[in-house]
Amino acid sequence: MIRLSGRFRSALIIGGQGIRSRKLRTFLSMISLFLGVLAVVTVQAGAETAKTLRLADLELHIGKDGTRQMYIPSMPDAMDAALTTVAGKADAVGVMGYQAIIGEPNVVPINQGAAPFDNTDGGYYGPPMQMDCNPMTGECRPIKDEQAAQPTRGQAVELVLQGLTGDIRQFRPFRPVAGNWLDFSGDPSYSPRLVLNKEAAKGFTRYQIPAEMRVEGATANPTPRIVGVVDDGNSQPTAYVRVDEMRNWMPKTTANQMYGPGMQLLFAPTAGETEALVVRKITALGVSRDMLHVETINARKDIAEELAIIRWIFLGMAGLVLLIGVAGILNVGLATVGERVEEFALRRAVGTPRSLLAGIVLAETLLTGLLTAAAAIGLGVVAIDVGAGLFGSRVPQLQDLTFPWQAGVAGVIAGLVAGLLGGLIPAIRAARIPIATVMRA
Amino acid sequence: MSPLIEMVGITKTLKGQQEPRVILDGVDLTVDRGESVAILGRSGSGKSTLLSLIGLFDRPDDGHYFMNGRDLARIPERKAAALRSAEFGFVFQRFFLLKHLTAAQNVAMALVNGQGWLPRRHRRARVLEALDQVGIAHLAKQRPAKLSGGEQQRVAVARALVRSPSLLLADEPTGALDTETGNLVIEVMRAATDRGCGLILVTHDHAHAAKMQRVLSLSDGVLT
Repeated sequence: MIRLSGRFRSALIIGGQGIRSRKLRTFLSMISLFLGVLAVVTVQAGAETAKTLRLADLELHIGKDGTRQMYIPSMPDAMDAALTTVAGKADAVGVMGYQAIIGEPNVVPINQGAAPFDNTDGGYYGPPMQMDCNPMTGECRPIKDEQAAQPTRGQAVELVLQGLTGDIRQFRPFRPVAGNWLDFSGDPSYSPRLVLNKEAAKGFTRYQIPAEMRVEGATANPTPRIVGVVDDGNSQPTAYVRVDEMRNWMPKTTANQMYGPGMQLLFAPTAGETEALVVRKITALGVSRDMLHVETINARKDIAEELAIIRWIFLGMAGLVLLIGVAGILNVGLATVGERVEEFALRRAVGTPRSLLAGIVLAETLLTGLLTAAAAIGLGVVAIDVGAGLFGSRVPQLQDLTFPWQAGVAGVIAGLVAGLLGGLIPAIRAARIPIATVMRA
Repeated sequence: MSPLIEMVGITKTLKGQQEPRVILDGVDLTVDRGESVAILGRSGSGKSTLLSLIGLFDRPDDGHYFMNGRDLARIPERKAAALRSAEFGFVFQRFFLLKHLTAAQNVAMALVNGQGWLPRRHRRARVLEALDQVGIAHLAKQRPAKLSGGEQQRVAVARALVRSPSLLLADEPTGALDTETGNLVIEVMRAATDRGCGLILVTHDHAHAAKMQRVLSLSDGVLT
């Protein structure tokens, strides 16, 4: 062990002396290798950054990995049971969707169908189809445009309203933009407090909207209070509200009829008991277990598969560039060994084993590879810092961007592999130099 | 007391030419501790070949080579390297100093060779002691380009002595030096024999050979 340690130290000392004595050659080797290592670092950093950003987007849209999502069918009693079960729980949140119009009464909202404000005239967000249904037979038929009431467009915006039983941010990490988040600790207010997403805030900034909110099924039009704005990654105008503040305005009978498409429950991975309780209560009401659709969010796996192919393609290209760098080190290494034949023969004469001679050459190329990796990683760190500083204000996801450690590891590995590959043949040549060279000189 | 080295019936034939040429033909040689031996001979007589066999650079085709009673004639390279480090010191006609290292670092080369490990402080002490033995400790930090030929050869001698070898092998060490400087180098090496180190000097110079305790001649592969 001591002997190995001695050889290792000797290789490092002599390798370091070799590098210091041939600074220009080492520098030229580093240049030939630099682009290759930088390519590997860039690909790895890019892939990790893309993964982080994509994951952050998915967490905003879908939820954090491991979150259990349960969809409760649109059955009033079932939804009521679910709501009361998860209310006040820290590890579960119920989400109920409403459609709300805020602003002047009896006008067509500026963004009918809760369309994005820059796309109010097109897309799939058009006006909801008007239907005439026969309560006796249950048959429905679309009403022709001329038959439907055609109020004029006015100062009102239409929103998707998400009624929450608790803080959803533990599952979907919304980024705060302004103001505060909803306070679930106190009693519900008769003036529903809203937190808007950025798209909804755009509407309120752009237009003069009176504070009157109409929600289908409500007994009166409450006056909402906007308490904050968040970035939820959603392009549709959306507002978040305490569900109990909405239900203040909805008698149970009305509310039961207006639940629309059903509700969603989000459970933390540790909320197994709460989830089981909800299932027991709902199935006790006669709802089949099969109707309770449950799934676990696994965004990391999904995007890993999505990004893996791209990453391998780019790594392949980076590998080719790296190979050119390896050829550069190999070339310089062979030339250097050729020049140092007498030195290596002399070292053998004074008792240096062949393995250490090979180790000296490898130590030099490995140190060169490591120095190159350090330079490439340093450049990567600076580039990401500068990029985040320059573009962070325009792309919020970039604000917290840091150099991924995986890229650093990839850079070091690339440097070491290049040093090893580039130094192997010169090392073998150095070890084979006959001692008699010094006798013949 | 057993001799330091004993060679019995050593033969060496150079192959790879049209006809194999016998370089050493049944050479017998014994050297005691602290003894100095000069080997004279014409160019191509096999002096350097004999020295390379003694120094374990190469192996004989036949015969026995004992050192401290152990036969080294078939010793594997790994063990030969360890012995070269521990038992032998080499001085060549050319000095073979690395120009990017100082005199002290050149001497330390024989200590940083993967055969055991000496802490830096001990290494420095050994190097300065060796340089002091050859009278140039004050030049420890000089690079070879700043040293005269004689000083460079003395650095090479210090490198050979730094591990306190049992046997110093010198292959025409004064060949590149003027007479006065050559004498100085020979004296430095002879002084090592006073400390118990054997010395084999291969030379063309009869005056230098005469300073050794024994003078042998190699001719037609036979040592007399």
